[in-house]
Amino acid sequence: MTTLIGLSGCKGEVSILDPAGSVARDIAGLWWVLLLGAVVIFVAVMALLAWAMVRPQGRTSERVWFWGLGLAFPMLVLSALTVHGLVVGERLLARSAEGVVTVRAEARQWAWSFGYADAPGRVTEDLLHIPAGRPVDVEIGSVDVVHSFWVPRLAGKLDAIPGRINVLHLQADRPGDYAGVGAEFSGYGYLDHVFTVRAHDPAAWAAFLAETP
Amino acid sequence: MTDPKPARRAEALRLHRKLLPIWSSDQRFRGWLTTNNNNDIGGLFLIVATIFFVIGGILAMLIRAQLASPGSAFMGPEAYNQVFTMHGTVMMFLFAIPFFEAMAVLLLPGMLGTRDLAYPRLGAYGLWVYIFGGSAVIIAMLLGLSPDGGWFMYPPLSSSAFSPGIGPDVWLLGITSIEVSAIAAAVEVVVTVLRYRAAGMSLARMPIFAWYILVVAVMILTAFPPMILGSLLLEVERAFGWPFFQTENGGDALLWQHLFWLFGHPEVYIIFLPAAGMIATILPVMARTRLLGYAWVVAAVVALALLSFGLWVHHMFTTGIPHMGLAFFSAASTLVAVPTAVMIFSWIGTLWQGKPRLELPMLWILGFFATFVIGGLTGVMLAIVPFNWQVHDTHFVVAHLHYVLIGGYVFPMIAAVYYFLPLLTGHSRFFKLGEIAFWITVPAFHLTFLAMHWAGILGQRRRTWTYDAGSGWEWINLTASIGAFAMAIGFALVIGDVVVNTLVARKARRNPWGAGTLEWATMLPSPVYGLASIPVIAGRYPLDDDPQLALRIARGEGFLADTSRNRRETLIVSTTGGEPAQVAVLPGNSVLPFILAVVTSTSFLAPLVGAYLLSGAALIGVVVVALIWAWGLGSKADEGPVDAGRGVTLPLSTEVPDPPGWWGSLMLLLADSVHFGSLLFGYAFLWTVAPNWPPPSYLAPGAVDAVLAGAGAVALLAGPRWAARSILKGAGPWPGLVLAVLGAVALAGAATGIILARPDPAGHAYDATLWLLAGHVGLHVAITAIMLGYLTARVLAGYTSPRRIGDARIVQLWADFTALTGLVALAAAWLPGVFG
Amino acid sequence: MTDIARLSVPLTLWLISFSGLYGLHGLVCSGHWTRLAGSGAEVAGQTALIAGFLAALLVQAVAVAVLWTQRFGGPPGFVRTTSLALALVALVATLWTLGPSVALPACAWPSATVAG
Repeated sequence: MTTLIGLSGCKGEVSILDPAGSVARDIAGLWWVLLLGAVVIFVAVMALLAWAMVRPQGRTSERVWFWGLGLAFPMLVLSALTVHGLVVGERLLARSAEGVVTVRAEARQWAWSFGYADAPGRVTEDLLHIPAGRPVDVEIGSVDVVHSFWVPRLAGKLDAIPGRINVLHLQADRPGDYAGVGAEFSGYGYLDHVFTVRAHDPAAWAAFLAETP
Repeated sequence: MTDPKPARRAEALRLHRKLLPIWSSDQRFRGWLTTNNNNDIGGLFLIVATIFFVIGGILAMLIRAQLASPGSAFMGPEAYNQVFTMHGTVMMFLFAIPFFEAMAVLLLPGMLGTRDLAYPRLGAYGLWVYIFGGSAVIIAMLLGLSPDGGWFMYPPLSSSAFSPGIGPDVWLLGITSIEVSAIAAAVEVVVTVLRYRAAGMSLARMPIFAWYILVVAVMILTAFPPMILGSLLLEVERAFGWPFFQTENGGDALLWQHLFWLFGHPEVYIIFLPAAGMIATILPVMARTRLLGYAWVVAAVVALALLSFGLWVHHMFTTGIPHMGLAFFSAASTLVAVPTAVMIFSWIGTLWQGKPRLELPMLWILGFFATFVIGGLTGVMLAIVPFNWQVHDTHFVVAHLHYVLIGGYVFPMIAAVYYFLPLLTGHSRFFKLGEIAFWITVPAFHLTFLAMHWAGILGQRRRTWTYDAGSGWEWINLTASIGAFAMAIGFALVIGDVVVNTLVARKARRNPWGAGTLEWATMLPSPVYGLASIPVIAGRYPLDDDPQLALRIARGEGFLADTSRNRRETLIVSTTGGEPAQVAVLPGNSVLPFILAVVTSTSFLAPLVGAYLLSGAALIGVVVVALIWAWGLGSKADEGPVDAGRGVTLPLSTEVPDPPGWWGSLMLLLADSVHFGSLLFGYAFLWTVAPNWPPPSYLAPGAVDAVLAGAGAVALLAGPRWAARSILKGAGPWPGLVLAVLGAVALAGAATGIILARPDPAGHAYDATLWLLAGHVGLHVAITAIMLGYLTARVLAGYTSPRRIGDARIVQLWADFTALTGLVALAAAWLPGVFG
Repeated sequence: MTDIARLSVPLTLWLISFSGLYGLHGLVCSGHWTRLAGSGAEVAGQTALIAGFLAALLVQAVAVAVLWTQRFGGPPGFVRTTSLALALVALVATLWTLGPSVALPACAWPSATVAG
């Protein structure tokens, strides 16, 4: 357990700005767009406000303030943003594709069990093995309370809800260990509800599947 | 000729001396328990809410102390989980909502040009329920019995299996009692804004704050009921094992999340809009101009309110709802930024056309802009689904919500407190501590919460009690903690400054800011009776239109300046045009609201210690006290139209078909119907998506049940109508009343049939839902039956007449609701059995 | 009260159709739907959602038209202007928030439920 905490604590280990897979990279790109837009809009609004405070009194027209700034400006920005977000979202969804590897994640207070469609019967605790460079669908479930499966460097989070299976799509570009955390508050042991995702190269993945349980 | 001025001043003084004894509360200590004057109630509300703010703030400091350094041994997870849960709970429920209610109670009558709110006793009742419920929650915390599952209490974590202590019960029962208080205040506000205004104050001439608070009050009536239902479901699951949220028995954990956020999202706007209303009120005065685009702003408020009910799923983007469903809510979440932008640009445009002065309230409003705009922009970010998947439940969200709530609520409310300080205390600010406090608080706020965004981006989860050295979050958290402590000092200075200025500052002159709205038409501080007479107005800024108006009001040149009837009177106007319509007689001081609050709170809080019997007894007490309360109103003789002044004669509000009680009932039933609708939603939700459905068997309705339900509903609709018509004709209402009672009995019989057919509500969520549907019918039949009995007694005692028809019309309204929702409830219970 | 209704009804209609279409979406992506519609469930679901979207648009258009009339919209003035504006807002809101029903596949997240 201690080593796992150590792993999840390393610098950038759970940073969404340090993506190591296509899904997380798309979202990190989205963040930079959002941040840039927000900074530009904030500065513009503050400049307008400052100007309004210091300029001499004068008449003004509702057309500019409401039709222009109140309606046209936000609707233009927001419709573009909404559509962009939905396009990115649609691209990230789990769907049947060539070579998808399916694994299962089962959350409980406060541990994770992982199973593998390609190796029936194999169960690993707090360590999820996946192949690098291939799309992976994680079937997420819970046996007690609501949890959430989150590997920040690979993909966004998806909840583990009792009685349901949610499927998360992710991919790791390169072999390596990636920190994962339970990301929905789950009580006393929430802090240590962590796991590791280990991405293997093709040979190591084949070897992992071939191991006898 | 003598100088007319002193004579006129003497006239005003004479009227003041006459009004004072009529409106004053008891000057002895017991006066605190018996007062129902809006100045007293609002002041107490404000003080208590501020105390809770301080408590919530101390909890925040504990959190920041814990997170200041990695691996802190200051608190363990048990303590930390209680602290962050209570911080959220206290700030949202015990501070934010009551604080704006307090401001509304204090200011609304003056702004609208009336003398008090529509239901002064209801206001007092709401205050005491809030004080008792809030205190219980705090006492439980001090005993270490707080809830510890986060302020949104997701089951199954909050279910008895995973939270066996009484923590969640404290939360559910305490918060529900506070919601009852909020609903009482909301009913009062809606009816006041719609009917209690100055003569000539049409909808288009209402001060902008009245629009904001009207919309907010309607939102409270429609957003709180889903939460109350959710609390009811979770509490009966915890207490009796009815499995609404347990998957294995047909429940669904997600049902809670839907009900909670159906409340929780509008809640954010319920908190923001009153503050926005304050900005729209104060900012034009600070800019020495008028609000730009009044109609635009009203439209934006209404649009924002309704749109905010279509956003709830954006708190659930990571729960696995299919992408199209998320897309609806993502789009709605971005759209809601448009009316917000309309408001923001209305305010900047107002500054643009005006000549702003940088007084302290304006300074805080500038703090609002710098903060809230960032909160709004991060809100748009969170509306974008894929980004939300990453930052949901991290410190990014925590930072965002504090930008919105502190920037969008606390800062403007501080501006409002300073702006209205002369009105409320009669003092103008003397010590210049306020500016120092501002320059500490706002920069410290940004230091704290800008840093916190970054922690979230770097992956720090919210609600984790510590973190490791080497995580890369150390300096961020230290910065946030330093900022938080500086901010706490700033807020402490603000509170200290306000207290000191309240106690010792110099006397303010009338209308110190040169505002145009009616709340400034009084002497300072505003006297207990508010306005000496009800003015006639012809525009949105009556004090600008007529600089002599304040004096003319004081001299009694408006309506109801005649004090000879020696009772508290105010004007009721028509909703749209503001034409004088009725004279309302407001009740005097009474200890009944306090007593009713004591028994209500007892019935809510007794289950915490397992005292179900006491709770039941207190519930009977509630009914008895409520009946005594109602009995004391009204009169045994017709008084006829009275002289309202200015040569106008108006009927008394007790002698019209739509008395205030009828309007209040209508609003209460609006909340009730949303509650009922939420129950139907929960039922449909479970039927559609809960994993373990269908249940082993569906209830098969019998022909007898259907006949009982149909005939009962018809009788309950017809009976009270018949009775009311009989009273109107001066005849005995007995056949109608008997028919109504028979109808109630028949409906109750049909509901009992369900209970008898499905004796085990703990077996499956379907059975538990059936019991709640039957319970809805049973409860409303009981209420209607009690009201019918009450009406019978009123008729016998001579309280009704063809003029005094109000009681009968109120009973009719409740009977209609019982009959219609009863029929729907029973049909819903039988529906799956008929088709499935 | 008529004026309050004029101001609040259009967006209330939006809220009803919004929640309604979301409910329909939940139904379309649930097991009930496949039982109900059989093999063509996917196409039928998408069609139902688009039909619901168009119906919602129609309702809002009717609301605008009705409030435009002298009879229901009331005399010229503050309330008439504001309620018409809000009716247009409701129409735009319908287009904006329910538009995804024509643009996205209905149940693209294979989120299955299992007996617990």
